[in-house]
Formats: sequence, C-alpha cells, structure tokens
Amino acid sequence: MNCDFTEKISQLIDGELSEVEAREVQRHLTQCVVCQEARADFLSFRSEISNYNPSLHPASQADALKRILGQPVEQPRVTPAKPKLGWSWGFAPRAIAFASLMLIAALVGFIVYRATQNKETPPAQITQKNPIPVFVPSPQVTPNNHEPVHTAPPKSDSAPAKSKQIRRMSPLVRDGSNIAQVQPDADTTQPSNTEKAGDIQALTAMHLQKSELLLRAFRNVRVAKAGGPVEVAYEQKLAQQLIVRNMMLKREADAAGDIQVASLLENLEPILLDIANLPKRAGTDDVRVINERVERKNIVALLQVNSTVLARALDDD
Amino acid sequence: MASEDEEFTMLFQEFYPSLCRFLECLLGGRANLAQDLAQESFLQLHRTAWGTLPVGEARFWLYRVARNFALNEFRKSNTRYRLFDRVVEVMTPRTRNPEQEYETRERQQLVLQMLDKLPEDQRVALLLREQEQLSYREIGQVLNVSESKVKIDIFRARTALRESWAKRARAFHANASSQGTVEM
Repeated sequence: MNCDFTEKISQLIDGELSEVEAREVQRHLTQCVVCQEARADFLSFRSEISNYNPSLHPASQADALKRILGQPVEQPRVTPAKPKLGWSWGFAPRAIAFASLMLIAALVGFIVYRATQNKETPPAQITQKNPIPVFVPSPQVTPNNHEPVHTAPPKSDSAPAKSKQIRRMSPLVRDGSNIAQVQPDADTTQPSNTEKAGDIQALTAMHLQKSELLLRAFRNVRVAKAGGPVEVAYEQKLAQQLIVRNMMLKREADAAGDIQVASLLENLEPILLDIANLPKRAGTDDVRVINERVERKNIVALLQVNSTVLARALDDD
Repeated sequence: MASEDEEFTMLFQEFYPSLCRFLECLLGGRANLAQDLAQESFLQLHRTAWGTLPVGEARFWLYRVARNFALNEFRKSNTRYRLFDRVVEVMTPRTRNPEQEYETRERQQLVLQMLDKLPEDQRVALLLREQEQLSYREIGQVLNVSESKVKIDIFRARTALRESWAKRARAFHANASSQGTVEM
C-alpha cells in the first residue's frame, strides 16, 4: 500500500517543505490512512534512532580530550621560526639522556635475546635459556597412571630459580596423549605441530613478554629519535616473527575458551601488523600513530599483567 | 593558544558523544572502534584543520572525516575489534535495573540490525538527519552530494526500514501462531 504523497511525508517531518507544500500535505494527511501510518512509522524510527545510547563513559571522554590536546600540533599557526633545537636539549637534557640509555639497554637486550633464540642448541640448553618453562615429558612415567610429569627448566638469571615439577595446563594436552618434546632444531618463530602439542600457556606467556618488550622498545624509539626518520628495521623484523605466533596462539585461546587472552591477542595483532608493515626508515609520524594506538588500548600494561598471571599459574602448578 | 584550546574543548564536549553515537550506529554497534575513530577525527581536526576552518564548519568537517574513517574500516572488513567490544560490553557496569537494561539493549540491537541492512549512503544520510538534526543541505555538504540525492536517500532509507520492520512483524506473528498450533 503506497501513496504518491509518502515521499512528501518524509520531507514534511524533516521540515523540508515550503509553507504551501506543507499545508497541502497536511490536508492530504487528514484524509489518507496510508500516509498517516507512514508518518507514524517514520516518527517511531526517528525516536528509536535518536534515542540510541552510545557505550560511552565520561571518564574515557575526558581521557580522549587530554590525549588530543596533549599531542603536538603538526602545522604551527604562528609563523614557524628556525627549528627549535633547544627544545629537547634545553628542556630536559637528563630525561633525553635517560631515554637514550634506556633505548640502548633495550636494544642490547633484544640483540642478546634474539641471538640466544636463534642459536641452534641442544634441548637442555634451550630449556635453560627460556625465561618461561618449556615442558619436557619426564622419562619416568608411572605405569598405572599415564599422567605426564614435566620438569621445569632452571630459569634465566633474572627469574627466580625453579626446581619443582610442573604439570601441563593446556586442555590440548591434559590427558597426556599428545605430548611431544620440543625439538632442539625447531624454529621457535614458526608455529609447528610440536609447539601446538607443547604447553600453550607457557608459549603464550613468553609471547606476551616478547610483545611487551617489543612495544616498550618501539615506544622508546619514538622518544629518542623524534624529528627525523626512525630506524625500525629490527622492531619490524621482530613484529613479523611475532605475528605468526600471535595468530596461532589466538586460535588456541579461542579454542580453549580463554576469552581474555584471545581478546588481548586480537588487539595485539593489528599493532604487530602495523609495525611489521612500516617502511625501513619510517617517519616519526608513522611511529607516533602506532604508539598512540598502543597507549590508547593500554596494551603494554595488559601484556604485562597477563604474562605475569600466566607465569604465576605455571609456578603454582 | 589557550583560548583556541578552550574553544576546541567546548567543541569536543559538545560533539564527541554524538560523533561516537553516529559512528557506533554506522559501524553496527562496534563501540570501541567508534570511539577510536571519533578520537582520530578530533585529533585530525586539532592537528590540521583547527583554526583554519570557517566558523560553524568544524562540525561538518568532523562528520565528513569520521565517515571516511568508517568507510576505510568497511573496506578493511576486519572483525578484529568485535570480540574485544563484546568483552568490554560484558565488563561494563550496569546501573539500571537488568530488565530495563535488557529491553533497551534488545531494542538498540534491533535498530542496529535494521540500519546495518541499509546501503551505506542511505544509512549515513538518515543518521545525520535523525541523530544530528542536520538539514538536507547540510547533509549534502557533509557527504558532498546534492540535496535531492539526500532527500531520496532518506526517503528510501525510511521506506526500507518500514519494510524490514513489517517483515519482522510478519515473521514474528507466523512464528507465534505456529507455536500456538503445536501447543494445541
């Protein structure tokens, strides 16, 4: 059931008709049931759409404003004078020096970490180097109880030493049927069947730690070298390595119903992708945009919390 | 500079919530993404266009940029935020009574579903009209289209919503009557 006037009704309720047209349509409206219904429906939709409440919290609004006003303005409205060299060095030389030191320390840490990761070592050495325990099935399995017993490798110097035995946490391997030893020559950056059968939780904790370190280092890159092209080749490479693992672990977390880890990994993925897709000598703007997103999502803190929680859960077992 | 920031703050306070609402409806209820894009739009305004736009233009500029951001998201057709949005929704503290909350949520979901089925240009035009009360001319300005296209888009959007609603109502009645037959 349609009436030629229905389109005019739409304009009438929007106040888009001239006075003469509006009078004409209103006259028609008193006689036409179809148009009366159309008008009632249109107004009802208007009410529903305009009453839609966004999921917005006042605190987040205030934070957003602070973030926006805190950003440096790209195009200065005052005539730009010569570059403000004194800004960084005159303003806070100690802070800059500290940031540089931190950056160097982080880079050295990464280089050492990568070197230890890529090195082909026998199994015992792999487990010793890993900051997070990688589970190895014990050769002494009780005959009547096939539950696997795993030895925790000693932690690195920074972590407290662990000597007690640790049980698998992942539902994938809870029955002990699909346990496999971590191969000494396995490429730890690629998801493999061995890793899938390994302890997902430990891998997740390690992955979260690595990602956290990457994001922290990436943040420092921006601080240390603002104003010019930034050398991010190393971070980029690391991000490329982490993406594959991130996808695999997200799938595992989804399958295990671990919604918290799954959502964290889901949020991490686009950031890793963005870092991985940066040009070799990225501009400070590119880096800043990514860092802003990291900050907004509070990813670093979430990574820290979750990796700690996972590591503690392993310790408790 | 301080007064410019004050002016910006006033504009932000006035339009940020409605920009979030607009984007949330446009993006099918993805609240987190909507807030991200709203922030990006304001950030862009603050960095590049603030102070250069004529008075009264900033609002249109914001909606135009926000819509472009949303279009980029559609193109990416990503789903990465969906789960996170749901988690946030679950974690959000409820203040009203649960029944009322449930009813409101249901209705909002229905509205979003129906809006989601509209073509993007019709959806944007209708949202700008119903939520932001922009005139056809202003909507045309935001979307860079003619007034007559806006008029037709809005009418088609409303007609489509009516049809969609009627279809749902018919399905509901058919379902209810078939259940009644089974019970008898």
